[in-house]
Amino acid sequence: MSEFEPKIICFFCKWCTSAGADLAGTSRMKYPPNGVVIRTLCSSRVDAEHILLAFQKGSDGILIGGCHPGDCHYQTGNYKTRRKMLLLRKYLEQMGINPERLRLEWISASEGKKLAKTMTEFTEQIKSLGPIPKFGEKEGEE
Amino acid sequence: MKKIAYYPGCTLKTTAANFEESAIESMKKFDIELEELDRWNCCGTVFSLATDDLMHHIAAIRNLIRVKEEKSNQVMTLCAMCYNTLKRSNQRVKSNQEDLDKINDFMYKEDLNYNADVDVLHLLPYLRDEITFSKIAKRVKKSLNDIKFSAFYGCTLLRPKEIQIDDPFMPTILENLITALGGETVETPYAIECCGAYQTVNQVDVVVERTKVIIDGARNQGAEAIVTSCPLCAFNLDHRQKETKKKYSKFIEMPVFYFTELLAYGLGIEFKKEWKDLHYVDPLSIFKN
Amino acid sequence: MTENKNDKKIGVFVCHCGINIASTVDVDKLVEEFSKYSDVSHTENYKYMCSDPGQKLISAAIKKHKLNGLVIACCSPTLHENTFRRLSENSGLNAYLCEIANIREQCSWVHEDKTEGTKKAIKIVKTIVEKVRKNESLTPVEVPVTKKALVIGAGIAGMQAALDIADAGKKVILVEKSPSIGGHMAQLSETFPTLDCSQCILTPKMVDVAQNPNITLYTYSEIEDLEGCVGNFKVKIRKKARYIDEELCTGCGICVNKCPSKKALDEFNVELTTRPAIYVPFPQAVPNIPVIDKENCLFFQKDACRICEKVCGPKAIRFDQEDEFIEEEVGAIVVATGYDLLPITEMREYGYGKYKDVINGLQFERLLSASGPTEGEVRRPSDSKIPKDVVFIQCSGSRNPEYYKSYCSKICCMYASKHAMLYKHRVPDGHSYIFYIDIRSGGKGYEEFVQRAQEEENVVYLRGRPAKVYQEGDKMVVWGVDTLSGQQITIKADLVVLAQAIIPRNGVEELIKKLKIQTDEHGFLSEAHPKLRPVETNTSGIFLAGCAQAPRDIPETVAQASGSAAKALTLLSIDKIHHLPIVATVDEDLCSGCEICIGTCPYSAREIDEEKKIAIVNEVLCEGCGSCVSACPSSASQQKNFTDGQFEEMIKAILE
Repeated sequence: MSEFEPKIICFFCKWCTSAGADLAGTSRMKYPPNGVVIRTLCSSRVDAEHILLAFQKGSDGILIGGCHPGDCHYQTGNYKTRRKMLLLRKYLEQMGINPERLRLEWISASEGKKLAKTMTEFTEQIKSLGPIPKFGEKEGEE
Repeated sequence: MKKIAYYPGCTLKTTAANFEESAIESMKKFDIELEELDRWNCCGTVFSLATDDLMHHIAAIRNLIRVKEEKSNQVMTLCAMCYNTLKRSNQRVKSNQEDLDKINDFMYKEDLNYNADVDVLHLLPYLRDEITFSKIAKRVKKSLNDIKFSAFYGCTLLRPKEIQIDDPFMPTILENLITALGGETVETPYAIECCGAYQTVNQVDVVVERTKVIIDGARNQGAEAIVTSCPLCAFNLDHRQKETKKKYSKFIEMPVFYFTELLAYGLGIEFKKEWKDLHYVDPLSIFKN
Repeated sequence: MTENKNDKKIGVFVCHCGINIASTVDVDKLVEEFSKYSDVSHTENYKYMCSDPGQKLISAAIKKHKLNGLVIACCSPTLHENTFRRLSENSGLNAYLCEIANIREQCSWVHEDKTEGTKKAIKIVKTIVEKVRKNESLTPVEVPVTKKALVIGAGIAGMQAALDIADAGKKVILVEKSPSIGGHMAQLSETFPTLDCSQCILTPKMVDVAQNPNITLYTYSEIEDLEGCVGNFKVKIRKKARYIDEELCTGCGICVNKCPSKKALDEFNVELTTRPAIYVPFPQAVPNIPVIDKENCLFFQKDACRICEKVCGPKAIRFDQEDEFIEEEVGAIVVATGYDLLPITEMREYGYGKYKDVINGLQFERLLSASGPTEGEVRRPSDSKIPKDVVFIQCSGSRNPEYYKSYCSKICCMYASKHAMLYKHRVPDGHSYIFYIDIRSGGKGYEEFVQRAQEEENVVYLRGRPAKVYQEGDKMVVWGVDTLSGQQITIKADLVVLAQAIIPRNGVEELIKKLKIQTDEHGFLSEAHPKLRPVETNTSGIFLAGCAQAPRDIPETVAQASGSAAKALTLLSIDKIHHLPIVATVDEDLCSGCEICIGTCPYSAREIDEEKKIAIVNEVLCEGCGSCVSACPSSASQQKNFTDGQFEEMIKAILE
C-alpha cells in the first residue's frame, strides 16, 4: 500500500501568507504538494463553519496563515482569527478531532522560507497523525 | 553532601593532578562531592568537524552512557576540552535523532541505549550560576590581597556559540571569580587569543612565540600572574616559559594558575607541595602573606 | 460529463509560462480535465497567456463562446490579475467574473514531481472554477481623492519628495520628528565623489522647503494615528511642545547662550560635544526656533532657573505649552524616515563602545566639518590631539550574518575612501589605512574616486576585516590581516573610524505599525515589487523614499524621492479612485440585528438601520476583510464573491 498522503487545506490571507507562498515559489523552495491554498483577503474571513465542513468532508489538516500580530492589513483581523482558532481547537477536541490538525501560523510576505518550512512540517505532522477519523469516530480509537 | 558525577579526562589524572585535587577539595567546602565515574575513557578530543564523520563522537557518547549507568543525569567536567567535546557531541545527538540511533546501533554491546538526556557541566559556569560568586566571596579565608591577575580563557569554553559559557569577545567570568576571591584583574587583549594549542607537540617554537607575546602583554598591563581556564593553555603558558627564557634571555617569567587552584587557595585549602611541583614557574612566589 | 445545472459558460485558460509551469504541470492534462465540465464551454492552453497573442486568444474565445466566467491558470494574481481583468472588461465581460488560479508560485515552482504537480494544479484550478461559478458582476465603488500629500521625514529624501509634489501645485504636509529639517545630510562634511560641501548644497533646499507656499511644515512632530485608505487617509499629528511660542520667537539665540545647563549630549554632533537644554540643533536649522529639552532643563527637573524666560526679549518662552494634535486629510503618503547607524556599543570585537577614540563614520563627518566641534580640524575625542595614524574599518556590522547584519550597507566603501582622502587633506603628514572586504564602487565617477584615493592620496588599502581593536597606552591597537599578502597586521593607531552598518531609523517600528505597511527581516520598508514597483508599498497610496527602504547614497535617494513624488502625484491627479467592490452584504431577511458585526469592523463600516432594526454596510468604508461575515451567527452577512457558498464548494473541490 502506498504511503498515506494527507489532504490539507490552507487558508492564506492575500497580504502576508499568500505573498509569502509566492516568494517561496519565486525562490524555488520545495515543499510537499499536499496543501492546496484558498486565498482570502484576510484570515479573519475564515469561518469556523468552513473548518468544520472541511474536516467533515475529509480534510486531514487545515493550515491558516495570517499576518504577524500588529501587521494585519485590516488592522486587527489576525487577532480575531487567533481568538477564533483558540476556541475552535478546544471544540475540536470535544468533537474527537485532534486539535493539532488545525494550525495557525503568522507568515509574512518576506518569509518564504518559513512558509516552505511550515508546509513541510505540517504535512509531516499530519502524516504521523494519520487520516482524519470518519464522522462519529473518535481519534485514536481503532 | 550533594554528589555530582565527575568526568576527569586524561590531563587532570596526570600532568595536571593539582587542578583536579584543588577542584575536588574546593567543592567540598560547598558541600558538593565530585564523584568520579567508575569507568570512563578518552573524551574523543579534537574530533572531526565533518558532518558525515559520526564515528568520532562515539568516545564522547560512551562516556555519557557511563554517566547514565551511575544513575545520574549530569556530569561535571573540569577540563575545557573535555567539556567542549562532550557537550558538542551531546548536542549533536540531541538535535539529530538519526545520528543518535546510528551511534546507539554502533554501540549495541552497551547495556544502555543513550537517550541524549545527560547535562554536561563545567565547573566554571557552575561556580557562577549555581554556587554564585557572591557566596564564594563570603567564604574566602585567604584573600588574594589585591594581587593583579590577567585572565586567559583559551578557546574551547567560548567557542562554538552553541556551548559558550560567556561572551566570546569580552568574557568576564574569570575576572569575576578573581574579584570574588579578593584579587585584582587587568585587561589584556590576549585573554581570548590562541595559546598555540597542540603545536606544543611538534612545533614548540610556535608556542614559545605565543607564550612570549601573551606573558609580556600581561606584564605590560601590570599583571603579576595569569589565571587560565584550560589545562592545555596552562601547560603551554607555564611550561613553555622554560624554552621562552632559553630563546629570549630578557624574558621575565610569570606564574600561571588554573582557576581551581586559585579557588582552593582563597578558600583556605593548603597549596600542597605536590601541586607546586607540577608547575614550572613557582606559583607561590606572588602570595604576599 | 457532469450535467450543466447552471447557465454558466466558463472559459479555462492554462498558461505554460514557457517551461515555468509546463515542466512540472501537464498543461494538456489540465485542458483535458476541465473540458469534461459541462459548464466549461471552452478550454485551451498556450505558451504565454499574458503575451499579446495570448490575450487575443482569450478575448476571441470570450466573444466566440459568449463566456460569462473566466479562469486563467497562470502565475500569482499579484502579477497578472489586473492584466486579465482588464482584458476581460475590454472583451465585454465584467472584471470580477475573471479569476486567477495560481499554478506557478504555489505549484509548479515549489514541486518537482510532474504527476504530483499536475494533480495539485487540477485541484487549484478546480477551486477557482467553483469560485467563478458563483462570482457575480461587480462595479467598483467610486470615491473622491483628497488632493493633498503627507511626507513623513524631512531629510533629503522627504524634502525632495515634498518639493516635487509642491512644485506640481499640490499641497504637502511635511512632518519631521526632530526640531529641524535636513536629516543626516546636514551633518555631512563633503560628499563623494565630487567633494562638494554637503551643507552648501543642502541649505538652499531647506530654505525652499520652508518658503514653499504649498508645503505645511511640522517639525518636532510625529504621526500619532492614521486611518482610512488610498485617496482618503486621515492623519493625526502630534506636535510636541517646544515650550516656545513660535510666532513670537525671533531666533536671536540669546536663550541658548545663557542656558546654564550644558550637559546634554549634542545629537547633531553625534554626541561628540554637549549642548544647552534649550537649543537649536545647528546654525542653519529650519525653522530657526529653539526647543527646550525637558530632561535636561533645570526648570522642568528642579523647578529652578527660568533664565531663558528672563532673557527672552519677545517673551516667547512657554513652560506651560502642551503637545498639540493636528488632524489632516491626505490622499497619498510618502514615507522617508531615513536611517541610523548600528550602535558601536554592539561591536564586541571593537570594544563595545568603551574606547573614546573608536568612533563611527558620522562622528568623523562632524570632525571633518567646518561647522563641527573642531571647526574642521581633525582632533580625536579623548585628548583633542591631531591623530597621525587613522584606521578606517569598513563593513563594521555589515556583511556579518553571524553576529550583526547580513546585508551590505552600500555607501561605506565610498565614504571610507572619502574620509581617508579628506583626512589626508587636513593632516598631510598623517597616515590613513582602510580595511575592506571588497571595494564596491558602482556608480558614476565612483571607481575613479577610489582610484584617486589609492593612487594620488596614498591611502593604504588593506583587504581584510580586523579581528580586534584595543587600547594600549594612548594608542588604539588594530589587529588585522592583509589577505592579499597573507600578512598579519598590527597598527597602533590614534583614531579608529568604524563604518557602522546602516539600520532603519530608531523607533520607526511604532510608525510602521500605525501605517500598516510591511518591512523586511531587517526592519527596512518593503517595496511592492523589488524590480518593477520599487517606490510603492503593498498598501496602495503609501510610497517609499530613501534609506527607510534600504541603504543608499544621496543621488539614489534623491532620484527615488522624485520617483515617489511622481507616484503620489499620479494618484493626486485623478478625481476619483475605485474602491474594491468585494465588500460585505446583508441579507435583510436573515439579519436579526444582533450587532455582533458592528464590534468586529475596524473601519466603522457597519451600523444599524434604526428603522429596519437590521445591520447595514457602508460600502465606501468597507475594506473587505470579511471579519464581520465570519462573525455573523446567522449567515446574514456575506462577502461579495467570497460567500460561504463559494467557500463550501472550493473546500469540497479540494477534497474530492
